[in-house]
Amino acid sequence: MTGRIFDIKEFAVHDGPGLVTTVFLKGCPLHCAWCHNPEGQSYEKELMIREKSCHHCGLCFKPCTHPECQPFHRCIHICPDDLIRIAGEDLEAKELAQRIRKNKDILDGVTFSGGEPLFQAEFLLETISYLDGLKIAIETSGYAEPETFQRVIDKTDLVYFDIKLAEETGHIRYTGASNNLILQNLNLLKDSKKPCVIRTPLIPGITDTEKNLREIKRLIEDLPHELLPYNEMAGVKYAMLGRKYPLSL
Amino acid sequence: MNKKLFDHYIIEKKQKNRRIEAEEVCGLYSSLNLSEEERMIRRFEYLMSLEELYFLDEEQIPFVRTVSNTPEIYTPEEWEERKKKHYIHESGYRSNLCPDYEKVLRYGLLKVAESGSESFKRMVHSILELTGKYEQEARRHGLHELADMLKQVPASPARTFHEALLCLRILNFAIWVEGNYQISLGRFDQYLYPYLEKDLNENILNEQEAYELLSEFFLSLNKDNDIYPGVQPGDNGQSLMLGGKTKDGSYLFNKISRMSLEVCEELKLIDPKINIRVDRDTPEEVYLLGTRLTKVGLGFPQYSNDDVVIPGLLKLGYDYEDAVEYVVAACWEFIIPKVADDVVNIAALSFPKTIDTCLHRDLVDCNSYEEFLDCVRKQLEEDIDGHRMSVNGLRFVCAPLLEGLMDWKGKAKYVNYGMHGVGLSTAVDSLTAIQIHIYEKKDIGKEELIKAVDEDFKNDPVMLHLLRHETEKLGSNDERSNRNLQFLIDRFGTYLNNKPNDQGGIWRAGTGSAMYYLWYADEIGASADGRRKKEPFAANYSVSLFADVKPFSLLKAMTSPDLTQVINGGPLTLEFHSSVFASDDAIRSVAAYVRQFILQGGHQLQLNTVNADTLRDAQKHPENYPLLIVRIWGWSAYFVELDKAYQNHVIMRQEYRI
Repeated sequence: MTGRIFDIKEFAVHDGPGLVTTVFLKGCPLHCAWCHNPEGQSYEKELMIREKSCHHCGLCFKPCTHPECQPFHRCIHICPDDLIRIAGEDLEAKELAQRIRKNKDILDGVTFSGGEPLFQAEFLLETISYLDGLKIAIETSGYAEPETFQRVIDKTDLVYFDIKLAEETGHIRYTGASNNLILQNLNLLKDSKKPCVIRTPLIPGITDTEKNLREIKRLIEDLPHELLPYNEMAGVKYAMLGRKYPLSL
Repeated sequence: MNKKLFDHYIIEKKQKNRRIEAEEVCGLYSSLNLSEEERMIRRFEYLMSLEELYFLDEEQIPFVRTVSNTPEIYTPEEWEERKKKHYIHESGYRSNLCPDYEKVLRYGLLKVAESGSESFKRMVHSILELTGKYEQEARRHGLHELADMLKQVPASPARTFHEALLCLRILNFAIWVEGNYQISLGRFDQYLYPYLEKDLNENILNEQEAYELLSEFFLSLNKDNDIYPGVQPGDNGQSLMLGGKTKDGSYLFNKISRMSLEVCEELKLIDPKINIRVDRDTPEEVYLLGTRLTKVGLGFPQYSNDDVVIPGLLKLGYDYEDAVEYVVAACWEFIIPKVADDVVNIAALSFPKTIDTCLHRDLVDCNSYEEFLDCVRKQLEEDIDGHRMSVNGLRFVCAPLLEGLMDWKGKAKYVNYGMHGVGLSTAVDSLTAIQIHIYEKKDIGKEELIKAVDEDFKNDPVMLHLLRHETEKLGSNDERSNRNLQFLIDRFGTYLNNKPNDQGGIWRAGTGSAMYYLWYADEIGASADGRRKKEPFAANYSVSLFADVKPFSLLKAMTSPDLTQVINGGPLTLEFHSSVFASDDAIRSVAAYVRQFILQGGHQLQLNTVNADTLRDAQKHPENYPLLIVRIWGWSAYFVELDKAYQNHVIMRQEYRI
């Protein structure tokens, strides 16, 4: 089946041990205020322009006939500095697996991230089915139907599972959704005995409070827990999408 | 590290205040009608006698240059005459060799001189005279232990690790005074280890003391390096080799190897430039230590792969016992210590120029890509021959000291020439562009392409984007691109390797570029890969500056050809963003990456840790970055001392963030 990705990153040292390729799947049910991959949120294809380096030559406004440019009213095949691209590429699971496998003999593993990889669970599962012999990891927000979550973790070797906020109201406020499903899936993860790492991004004044971290600790019990320092660069991609970083002052 | 010495020599650079200038000597030598050898001896004696003692009480390894110049032995007219009669390489003086330090350490200069030429004896005498002065100075300061050592070395055999380092420093000093340049320090951990081992076993020294001595020796190589610029400051060839296979087949990596990496990590200086020999069986620890040093951002260690280099050298006719001892010359050219007199950088081929010729002359008439490739092959051979034939009657100014320190027994065992292969990625990408757009997709016409290239794509931004950003580049691990790389390497290697040179030796092909990545780029206009006019090529065996390729694909692509055919050397250069090395896990991953490059059959690799924002800021405020170091084409340098073109090139290279 066809899926939609927005990047493949080779040699992603923070997404698992050794030489790892990370695939970013497009689309996410959450909209975390601090999200540093905003192009991963919407499933729709989006135009990304690195405006900061733009010399305003105007070439991209010249009408063109490329079908892929039409929805955006901008030509993506002309920028002298290559500043314009479309976030979102459709491809078959088989094709994605083939791209990953091209480097198989030097690869230790593959990590599926996003967006939310479980948002395209069927595509993800099919891709994984072609990746025999490679260690599979997912980076998930845990927001998915429990049945889907279970099916996916059954096929993975390592789960990076985000717990951002323990308390529901705050979760709804900052991510746009309740953490109910996430906590259900956390229990499934515990029961599965899968190797996992729980991750909490430390967002100043939001997730890094003593209370929140204590609550999270209580929820996850003795599962390995990693605190991710706030990414100062988190906001940079919003301007490329013509959006405003929700946490910007 | 001795903080006081570091501050004195590196931070405050106080030794610079004592520098004096030698007077011109060529007019006198010419009027006396002196022979070349006599001129070299007299200049050496003159400079050595002029050298003033420069000595700090806490110094355990003294010797600092106070004479800042090396006057010519020939007048400009005499040089003109020589150029008419002979092929003169670079400055005309000796470079890129690796002497037999071991024999001096083992027997002492006096013993070595017994079987040496009269000229060599005179030069040794001159060295011992200056050493004697330092000895007296040490006694005057009450440093009797050091004075005793200076009485011993370099005249007589080194008895301890300290004496061995002292002896090496004096040789290094004297070789520069003779007027040689880019002389390698050889297999440092191999020839020094017996001295350290003995001292440790006999409790003459503990490991910490050994570390401090080594640290001071490395520091000493930076006391005078500002007066030894090559094409740019830093290009001085004070390279040393660690690790590697030994004659008995085992892998060498000892306390000195480890300690050398640790000392460099602490000192953070441009010299010595560290190389590590690795192979399929090299333990992970070596890569981890190497990567820790990479993190510091000195642009070394540079790795070379014994599993590729040794077989490559054997194919070029080197005996196994010699090949197994290989080191690098100034940058990355593989040379054999002691016995070889190879000139590894005597010529440089421009691959993009060959393609440019064929694009303009042949493309229109070629009905298939194979036909076009055949034209490229013929033109490549013609261009190689052009460079080959241009070197005839090579003659160096003799170097009685350096030659006496080699193990040449009259004539060197190897007298081979190396030819760099410049602009490989631009050439491969241009071929791939032609293959895809002219012959496969047929979405660009032949004349249309030539016209666009000639107009520097000024009138066709869509074609420029297509060629530059949407066509497979070297490093993307595209099959066509890999095949084109293999084609150029094959043709270059197969055609050039083992062809005779004018000295009775042979030619060797390489993937190095030296400074020609800038110089040759100006010879042609734009190229079919979407490279604009005046844009530089990538250095050495690296992907194009605007190739948006990913690290694993790049590794696979660059190790795909048979690299034993290009063993004149020339590394893949990768730039990692400094943020990459944040965690121990990241260091392990980078080490694993380097190891994979070796396992997949890469020949040579150098890594730069950079941050383009810092570099840009250093261009604006050089005063804030006096010790910021970058790797240029095969050597590390202080960024702010470089010409702008070399600075900009580093900034333009793709930084990998992982």
